[in-house]
Amino acid sequence: MFALYCRDVRLALRSGSASALSVAFLLTVVVTVPLGVGPEPQSLSPIAPAIIWIGVLLASLLSLERIFFQDHEDGILDALIAGPLPPEVIAAAKAGAHWTTTGLPLILAAPVLAWFLHLSAEAWRWLVFSLVVGTPAVSFIGMFNAALTLRIRRGGLLLSILVLPMCIPTLVFGVDVLTRAELGQSPVVPLMFLAGLSFLSAATLPFAAGYALRANLD
Amino acid sequence: MPPGLRKRRRKQMIVLAILCLASATVVIGYGAREGIEFYRSPTQITQNPELSRDETFRLGGLVESGSLEFDGPVVRFSVTDGAHTVMVEYEGILPDLFREGQGVVALGSLGPGSFVATQILAKHDENYMPKEVMDILKAEGVYRPPE
Amino acid sequence: MTNPEKSAIDGESSGQNRAPDPRRRSLWEFANPSRFMTVSGRLLPFATALTFCALTVGLGWGFILTPDDYQHGATVKILFVHVPAALMAVNAWMMMLATSIIWLIRRHHVSVLAAKAAAPVGLTLTLIAITTGAIWGKPAWGTWWAWDPRLTSFLILTLFYVGYIGLWSVVEEPERAADLSSILCLVGSVFALLSRYAVVFWSQGLHQGSSLSLDSQTHIDNAFYFPLVTCIAGFVLLFVTLVLVRTRHEIRMRQLRILRSRRLHP
Repeated sequence: MFALYCRDVRLALRSGSASALSVAFLLTVVVTVPLGVGPEPQSLSPIAPAIIWIGVLLASLLSLERIFFQDHEDGILDALIAGPLPPEVIAAAKAGAHWTTTGLPLILAAPVLAWFLHLSAEAWRWLVFSLVVGTPAVSFIGMFNAALTLRIRRGGLLLSILVLPMCIPTLVFGVDVLTRAELGQSPVVPLMFLAGLSFLSAATLPFAAGYALRANLD
Repeated sequence: MPPGLRKRRRKQMIVLAILCLASATVVIGYGAREGIEFYRSPTQITQNPELSRDETFRLGGLVESGSLEFDGPVVRFSVTDGAHTVMVEYEGILPDLFREGQGVVALGSLGPGSFVATQILAKHDENYMPKEVMDILKAEGVYRPPE
Repeated sequence: MTNPEKSAIDGESSGQNRAPDPRRRSLWEFANPSRFMTVSGRLLPFATALTFCALTVGLGWGFILTPDDYQHGATVKILFVHVPAALMAVNAWMMMLATSIIWLIRRHHVSVLAAKAAAPVGLTLTLIAITTGAIWGKPAWGTWWAWDPRLTSFLILTLFYVGYIGLWSVVEEPERAADLSSILCLVGSVFALLSRYAVVFWSQGLHQGSSLSLDSQTHIDNAFYFPLVTCIAGFVLLFVTLVLVRTRHEIRMRQLRILRSRRLHP
């Protein structure tokens, strides 16, 4: 499992484009929103948490299709499923690799980009924390839906229609952590719910995805 | 060898999943216990002032009739829940639906002698709705399944 | 792998909304559906007639014979469409969840086809609930739309329906489509439920309390109560009838497909 995870991470890093592309996408979001909303800090600051979180969500969507697509094309996925690893383990490794190659760069880029949006200092302190706790849920949800749409050509649109509604709870709690921090309230409660979502997704979705993988590769 | 390994990996995976599920339960349970509170009542604050010191929170209750006074830009009024009353100080524009005798939620912290609010929300639940419609809507709730 | 603890739902309760479930004796493609076809074929005229009666009586009673609400005038009558539609929009998903789980455990073809058949009906009911709600909301609250938790969760439910129907429409192989959409329905149910709680949290956490509270139990006047119950019964029957018709259609399509492939590859 670990070997598979390492291989996926290495492959993604070697091509390099996935991580860079999603960070670039987040940058695009951060640049376009002020152009639409206006440059005043007082209009940007309150929506900054939402922009960052929605940006991260959309940026992670971009690379979801790649989770299984390349391996399926090459026939590697069939070999993997036939191999000694149960499909849920493969699914979990894939989600982990997606998080490392997409989620992690986004988390590292977000605090820098948040400055451009005048995110308040109180919220900024919690930003990385909320992303670290919340983005695993996004990767697992995305991986599950990528497993569902594995064989569909141009499945990207359907994939995003499937993934985004499922990410609503993550988004709500993720933004609420920052909003509460901004207001000086304790953000522990939404942070707990966020962690709960990530744990829940990590516990159940690999099995669901494993089932979908087997159904898809019969 | 492969089937044995497969079984072992699957077992490890299930153990891991159970661990994750358990952590999810613990974390959500903890959050749910803390999270029910959306605002504190004046009673909670007067009876246990230590709990609310140095913390920003929401204070909720009714604006006491006749307590509202303006002092330049500063507004003072009392929030009551029947049993206890807390003085609130606020500088800024009150929402349109702010009325004496109506519900209010104030965000802020305990200052010397009174609660210093940074944001005031009027609770205008029933205000813009005819009562009969409200009753029907309530009855409607009886038939909706818990989603 | 398919959540064995959920198997409690399997069995008798399977046909909560569908009329007599055929006995599952064989997993063979043809045997069960044919039994279902006979039973449902015999049942369909009755279901249609009952639906027609209940809806005519309920809606006629509700629209014409009930008094106007004295605060609210005639607009209150939209209640007789809005409430049953909203109720069945949620129940349709529940039924899809139950039948999807039966498919995952028992590989019962009629079951998953019923889920497939119910999805567009459920989506339509959700849209009806949202539309009538908007029409009612304008005079009642002065706005077509408010981001109230209940309204928002219905909008989210719409998205889940769209995703489910979308997945069915793009996967060509019937067996695979059944598997994938069923597992999506299962996972989607969990996340729809989570969204529901998240939305309540969101609405209370960031804004003032929800503008309508639908929790307390006050009794509605009898003049409205009985026609409303009749309308709800009518909508339940309508749902059952539509799902029966659509399931029969799906089965016929499947049979046609098999016959065609037999002729092509004898």
